[in-house]
Amino acid sequence: MTAAVDSVRTLSLREIGPAERGTRPEEVVIALSPAFGDPFTKTIVDVPHAEVIRQLLAGIEEQGGVARTIKVYRTADLAAIAHYGAKLSGSGIAVGILARGTTVLHQRDLARLSNLELFPQAPLLDAEVFRMIGSNAAQYAQGRSPRPVPTRNDQMARPRWQAKAALLHLKEFECIDHARAAVEVEPVITRVD
Amino acid sequence: MGEPVRVVVGVDVGNSTTEACLAEVAGDRADRVDRLASSLTPTTGVKGTPANTAGAVTAVRRALEAAGRPSAVPDTVLLNEATPVISGLAMETISETIITESTMIGHNPDTPGGEGIGVGTTVALAELGGQDGPVVVVVGAGADFDDVAERVNRAVADGVDVTAAVLHGDDAVLVVNRLTRRIPVVDEVSAVDRVPLGMLAAVEVAAPGRTIRTLSDSYGLASTFDLDSDQTRQVSPVARALAGNRSAVVVRTPAGDVTDRRIPVGTLTVTGSGRSLDVGVDEGAEAIMEAIRRVAPLTDVHGEAGTHVGGMLAAVRDTMTDVTGQPSSEIAIRDVLAVDTLVPTTVQGGLAGEVARENAVALAAMVRTSRSRMQAVADEIAAQLGCEVLIGGVEGEVAVRGALTTPGTAVPIAIVDMGGGSTDAALLDRDGRVSAVHVAGAGELVTKLVDSELGLEDRDAAESVKRHPLAKVESFFHVRHEDGTVQFFDAPLPPHVFARVVTVTPEGLVPVPVRTTLEAVRTVRREAKRRVFVVNTLRALAQVAPQGSLRLLGSVVLLGGSALDFEIPAMVADALAPHGVVCGIGNVHGTEGPRNAVAAGLVDVHAGLAEPVGAP
Amino acid sequence: MTAVEPRSEASVRASKRTEVLENRPVNLDGFVEEWPEKGLVAMESDFDPQPSVRVEDGRIVELDGRTREQFDFMDTFIADHAIDVDTTEAAMATESVEIARMLVDPRTPRAEIVALGRGLTPAKILDVVKLMNVVEIMMGIQKTRSRRTPANQAHSTSAKDNPIQVAADAAEGAVRGFAELETTLGVVRYAPLVAIGLQVGGQVGRGGVLTQCALEEATELDLGMRGITAYAETISIYGTESVFVDGDDTPWSKAFLASAYASRGIKMRFTSGTGSEVQMGNAEGRSMLYLEIRCILMAKGAGVQGLQNGSISCIGVPGAVPGGIRAVAAENLVASWMDLECASGNDQSFSHSAMRRTSRLLPQMLPGTDFVCSGYSAVPNKDNMFAGSNLDTEDYDDWNTIQRDMQVDGGLRHVREDVILQVRNKAARALQAVFAELDLPAITDEEVEAATYADSSDDYPDRDVLADLEGARSVMERGVTGLDLVKVLERTGFGDVAENYLQVLRQRVSGDLLQTAAIFTGDFVPLAAINDANDYAGPGTGYRLSGERWEELKKLRHVTSAENPEEEVV
Repeated sequence: MTAAVDSVRTLSLREIGPAERGTRPEEVVIALSPAFGDPFTKTIVDVPHAEVIRQLLAGIEEQGGVARTIKVYRTADLAAIAHYGAKLSGSGIAVGILARGTTVLHQRDLARLSNLELFPQAPLLDAEVFRMIGSNAAQYAQGRSPRPVPTRNDQMARPRWQAKAALLHLKEFECIDHARAAVEVEPVITRVD
Repeated sequence: MGEPVRVVVGVDVGNSTTEACLAEVAGDRADRVDRLASSLTPTTGVKGTPANTAGAVTAVRRALEAAGRPSAVPDTVLLNEATPVISGLAMETISETIITESTMIGHNPDTPGGEGIGVGTTVALAELGGQDGPVVVVVGAGADFDDVAERVNRAVADGVDVTAAVLHGDDAVLVVNRLTRRIPVVDEVSAVDRVPLGMLAAVEVAAPGRTIRTLSDSYGLASTFDLDSDQTRQVSPVARALAGNRSAVVVRTPAGDVTDRRIPVGTLTVTGSGRSLDVGVDEGAEAIMEAIRRVAPLTDVHGEAGTHVGGMLAAVRDTMTDVTGQPSSEIAIRDVLAVDTLVPTTVQGGLAGEVARENAVALAAMVRTSRSRMQAVADEIAAQLGCEVLIGGVEGEVAVRGALTTPGTAVPIAIVDMGGGSTDAALLDRDGRVSAVHVAGAGELVTKLVDSELGLEDRDAAESVKRHPLAKVESFFHVRHEDGTVQFFDAPLPPHVFARVVTVTPEGLVPVPVRTTLEAVRTVRREAKRRVFVVNTLRALAQVAPQGSLRLLGSVVLLGGSALDFEIPAMVADALAPHGVVCGIGNVHGTEGPRNAVAAGLVDVHAGLAEPVGAP
Repeated sequence: MTAVEPRSEASVRASKRTEVLENRPVNLDGFVEEWPEKGLVAMESDFDPQPSVRVEDGRIVELDGRTREQFDFMDTFIADHAIDVDTTEAAMATESVEIARMLVDPRTPRAEIVALGRGLTPAKILDVVKLMNVVEIMMGIQKTRSRRTPANQAHSTSAKDNPIQVAADAAEGAVRGFAELETTLGVVRYAPLVAIGLQVGGQVGRGGVLTQCALEEATELDLGMRGITAYAETISIYGTESVFVDGDDTPWSKAFLASAYASRGIKMRFTSGTGSEVQMGNAEGRSMLYLEIRCILMAKGAGVQGLQNGSISCIGVPGAVPGGIRAVAAENLVASWMDLECASGNDQSFSHSAMRRTSRLLPQMLPGTDFVCSGYSAVPNKDNMFAGSNLDTEDYDDWNTIQRDMQVDGGLRHVREDVILQVRNKAARALQAVFAELDLPAITDEEVEAATYADSSDDYPDRDVLADLEGARSVMERGVTGLDLVKVLERTGFGDVAENYLQVLRQRVSGDLLQTAAIFTGDFVPLAAINDANDYAGPGTGYRLSGERWEELKKLRHVTSAENPEEEVV
């Protein structure tokens, strides 16, 4: 799996238009939280958002899938973001992701608080895991049965990350804009050598 | 006035369950048997040993509770003459595939990239640039797909003839999508660092849904590598090994080879009819069973020390020694069932964790002894319950009596009881004679075959596959059962079963941890049951049938837990149908189903309802 | 993985000393700056309300600056059920510094300060404890704790949900002195078997141990009503209306649940703690301690006898802000002062640093609380299904040594190896007999042997999980109750265990466990706030570690004999 990153990349989200329902039956929607990419640029463990998106997209592409990316402004609740994405997804499959890295795989027929696969411990998610999440999303969208991404666990994540997670959560909430509808974006990843 | 009504409990200690049948028997009239309740509890200890007492007492107490008489003391408890049966199970893998000098990569990554064949000299990504002839790029761990594509594009622009690539990561599609020139790429090669560099290599990728044509063909290899006829003969195993793959890499090395060899796993010595035969376990199940037929009736089997089979046979003997106190020299293996199977095994020398389905032999063995210790059980029960305890009736014989109460049956009648470790058969002929036999191999062996053939390495999952029908979860609101019917749900199904092959259990849908299709899992399950239960039923019945002819059996009644299986009775009945045998699931006294035959039979015999078995 | 790598700036040359310090475990802990506007602050915030109260027609119409029309449901519940309308105006008129001094001053009787507390609003209580430093807070805890005799509580869980492990570790925990044992599950469907293992094991260790199984509320209540568990603890409450509503709950629904337990004579307490609201992003701009004080008053208003607090599962949040651990001690003080039983935290993995783990413990351990830990891990932390505790089995000898060093009673004691092996073995055998009688998947002699000598779940043979889950289902379906288990134990020759268990069930009828801070001695004498009331009134009073108990705590694994220095005291 490609994990090492030799060069630095930046992410900008170019707005295309309002987020709409897709029609391609195999597409995966990546639904981003209000603070993802802007103003925040990396996850709780400093994985650049550019790399998160690049790996998710690579995982989908490697499986022959297609992706659309949307950004949600009206909520910072991960389940709501992902479920909203799933409803817009042609396949019904979406990846929801918060700025701090917490990620969920969702499907439109599921209850909002349910999920296909949940990755609640953001500090344990690295580029390799994001690639596998993208790969699984594409496979679900194609009606295949991927092996669930192995979940990691670390009891000592609490003392190290719980407060920073709370802080990032609060910051993300600050970025909620109730007046702004979700938009479809094109992730533009630029290499800075 | 006749004798007063007496409370009698028949208790059947079986291999895995202990059953009880509680009845009131009027002393003066033989037709006055009122069956009040029955019960079922796990057998404690090995059948036929003093440890059975606890289970037997529990079964009696349960039956009394079920009849609403928890504090009643029965007048008589009837025990069957149970004898210990111990069975064992082992598996030997008997073939292996070995790749030497990293000659080939024959795995099937989910997503190879590009299409076609590329031939060239292997070059590491870091060394790419300035090569004259065609090259195959070898990319190690940690390389980023964007970087790889850029580097290859630059080399191509500089005039290097890059014809193919081999990658460590799952990046083939990503790299190909970014290349200016379309080349075949094989990825997920975990040991890519062992690919020999500076050697001529060929990479072939077929279109989705197709398999490779050139590298899987001897003359295709000859053309690709410009081989003479001797060399072609030498590489033909490589071609065979690659057949059926969607992608492959072959590297031409001085002495590279692929071999498929038999693993010697020792011999079995089978004894019977005054002679002994040695048979190599690696010769397969057919040869083993043939050897056993030739020495029939079998009197003992020994395996070679240090092999799985030898160890299993010794363990079975030791357990019997522990249970009965008989010296192990006096304990003989009375039956063996060998079954051929395929086990997914990692190929030695493989660079991408290639898995080959290797041949294996699974062996079930069984030993029994006539030394029953039921008298100790009887004494203990008498002491605990404060009642009379009688031992009567050899199992099998009493079971036949019980089975005969199934509506629609008649003498001659045969029973088959398919258990966990052994399959038991008995026949009651027109003269009132009963013959009984136990053969090795039953439910446990099926579980093992399912486990290994599906590569589950999870006994619980295999057990679930064995016991329950399959379905495929096609959406959150519907599943397609294995018989093709579709079932819809009002509430969404739990996410962990989404898009998976599942077993349909009383507790709900349970995912089967495989990536194969439902049909493949179903085939493995049915094949395993056929090779064990159908084969053993025929084998056991043939041993009790008059002149060994199944046609003379009349009716066959299936008893025991496996008779409750959702498909085994039908499979067995289908196999017996050509022999003109009526076969069905027992329904003891028309109410108990395939359960309680022995316990109810004991009461009937005691009350004089049925002929005491063995009477002249 | 990134979570355990020390942080450092790779490019800049650092001194050797910096390198040493960088590698200290404490630098694996996370620390953040305060953000009071959002409630990310321990207890000193300009955004907390000012204390106020106004009573009209025997009803509180203004609370901490809000009028009744502005009340959220927490305000309403507290105003109507937690604050004494008759005394509140007088109490609120007392200077905060005066109240704080009364809390510390040994000559002010506990009853007086408790009575005064009944009239205070959340903001006023916060105003009082803000004046107290951590030593004064400890003084306050020492005086206001409900029960005279301090005690301790353990977690007994298994990473494989193995009921035999839970039983053996429960037995060892009981004999080491824990008054309460708590379990929870990885696979929830295992609950009936694990709860039975905990109960049977607990009663083997010694008489008088209470058990509970943390589950979703309906199943937890069901197990309690059947008598398979003896108390309940994991009924969570929150300091803001929005967090409550997120969990589909209200103070009234929680109070209703509490009365369901009380109706069956089952001991129960609520759970709350600093940091939970800000963790969920709904602190409404209040400090962590202010919101926790609202929880404490809500618990009091609901009529429950006690509260588990001390941040609990959110300890990483107060632990990361300045003064956070002082605030955690303060919440324990307020719970005690409000006359509730306080199970005082120290029950979640808190720090990579052993020194920090100990210092976080001292404000509860030194003054003594009703339960110093509301979950000391009586299994290795990797088996702890509550996600790890501040202390685990590896710390037993350290704990015993600290008790001996400081001459404080933390509720535990050193127990000789042979005694431990004996109770572990007996617990496993008793459970083996129970499983056999109930037709549950058999426990082998090999498993009993493993349980006797095991440390963690790795040391046990694997169970047939499917068969166990089937067994667990049948326990629920057949309606097996605590009395059934007592009968089975009696029948299978574990009469003494059956007797202990029956005693626990009997208390459900007498209701003794509904008294504040009730626990049992080994002889089933209830110790509660009414018969073992805390009578601390300065030096020479209150609970003193002396006599037989002190002799017991002088024992450690290795103590050189004074009589014969070539030998150790056994």
